Amino acid sequence: MALLGTRLYLGLDASAVTAAALGEGLGGRRVRAFARVPLDQGALAPSPSGPNLPRGDETRAAVRRAVGDLGGGRVTLVLPDGIARVALVELPQGADPRDYVLFRLAASLPFPATEAIVDVLPAGGRLVVGAAVRRATVAEYEQSASGAGLEVDRVHLAPLVALAGLMRAGARDAVHVVLGDVALCLASFRGGGPAALRNRRRDRSAGEASRLLEEASRAAAAAGDGVGPVRLVLSGAGAAGLRRELGVEEVGRGLEAPGDWPEAAETAWLGGLVS
Amino acid sequence: MSRQPDFSTAPRPGGLPAWEGLALAAGLVALALAGGGAWRARQEARQARARLADVRREVEAASARLRALDARARGTPRALSAAEAPPSRILADVAAVLPGDARLERLTIDYARGGAFEMQVVARDAASWDRLLDGLARAPWVRDLEPGPETREAEVRSVIRWTWAGGGP
Repeated sequence: MALLGTRLYLGLDASAVTAAALGEGLGGRRVRAFARVPLDQGALAPSPSGPNLPRGDETRAAVRRAVGDLGGGRVTLVLPDGIARVALVELPQGADPRDYVLFRLAASLPFPATEAIVDVLPAGGRLVVGAAVRRATVAEYEQSASGAGLEVDRVHLAPLVALAGLMRAGARDAVHVVLGDVALCLASFRGGGPAALRNRRRDRSAGEASRLLEEASRAAAAAGDGVGPVRLVLSGAGAAGLRRELGVEEVGRGLEAPGDWPEAAETAWLGGLVS
Repeated sequence: MSRQPDFSTAPRPGGLPAWEGLALAAGLVALALAGGGAWRARQEARQARARLADVRREVEAASARLRALDARARGTPRALSAAEAPPSRILADVAAVLPGDARLERLTIDYARGGAFEMQVVARDAASWDRLLDGLARAPWVRDLEPGPETREAEVRSVIRWTWAGGGP
């Protein structure tokens, strides 16, 4: 029972537009409705600096179709991995989180730091997952939703939503890979929180699974866990195929999507919201 | 549930969704009610403490009175006043000290003066008269003994006045 109301989430990524109505109750969130509308290749191209919606009409149409049966109105946008700089940062005592994250990320931003929108996700103690995204990029997605007749309430980043879910669920010690269509987050979890974090674009050519496993081994060692075989946990876009490629013994199942909609497994952020 | 970072180009002030705002308002109301309740409870507790102190003082005073009365009751058996003592009892006491050769002819009791007695007595001789006076003087219920004029040559006929000092219960 959605005792505290229902909220509509709209996620956009290179392969599809996803809409989910989540009921907010005292026991947590539950997916009440779900829709996924595929996008043609090239209609949406997540990028930190360039245009993201080269074929805006197609995206708007997909947004309308996705939310059509779910009610519309106010939505929370979930932007894809690959448009932001993301880093795990330890805050000095007394530092303003946003200012310090911007200071740390400024040199790596492919756009002027003054154009960045920065926010942070607490990750235990003085650790935060900080992210910076170009204001024009966010505006591009907001305008697409507005063009489809929606009112944007909040804007989240898909990898941060997924990481928040892993932390809230007390994820086991492992290297968790959160997969978007064009980028991924590789987080080494220890003691229920991230000890190391890497965010990069995906190389979906042949052999991606074995490359991921090697990278996970290096990440586990960097996080202080060089003993025994690495435990790799995959969630998100294409995770099922990569798990099959690597073998189920080696790869754990990550953020669980609602069972009623198998396609929802492709969106790690939705698993993060309901975990 | 932790706050999810918001990257909106125009973040809404406050940023709280409707249900969270509702929950916050409900929480504030509950806090205010709890605060009011706590304040009232504190006032009632203060009043109860004051009442308790009053009652304790009254109990202590009553206990002190009870102790005093108890001590008085234990130390000296309470004497009956003349008004409380029945005439038969008074006559029995008088008869107990009256020697066999003395005769009580008249006994007047004045209750208005706290038990003033006047006895008209006839004794066969002076020795008998003396024994009567001695018996009365020793009796615990007699005080202010006033023997009347006497002639000790033969039969003694006189008046004795005394005051009732109280008899045992």
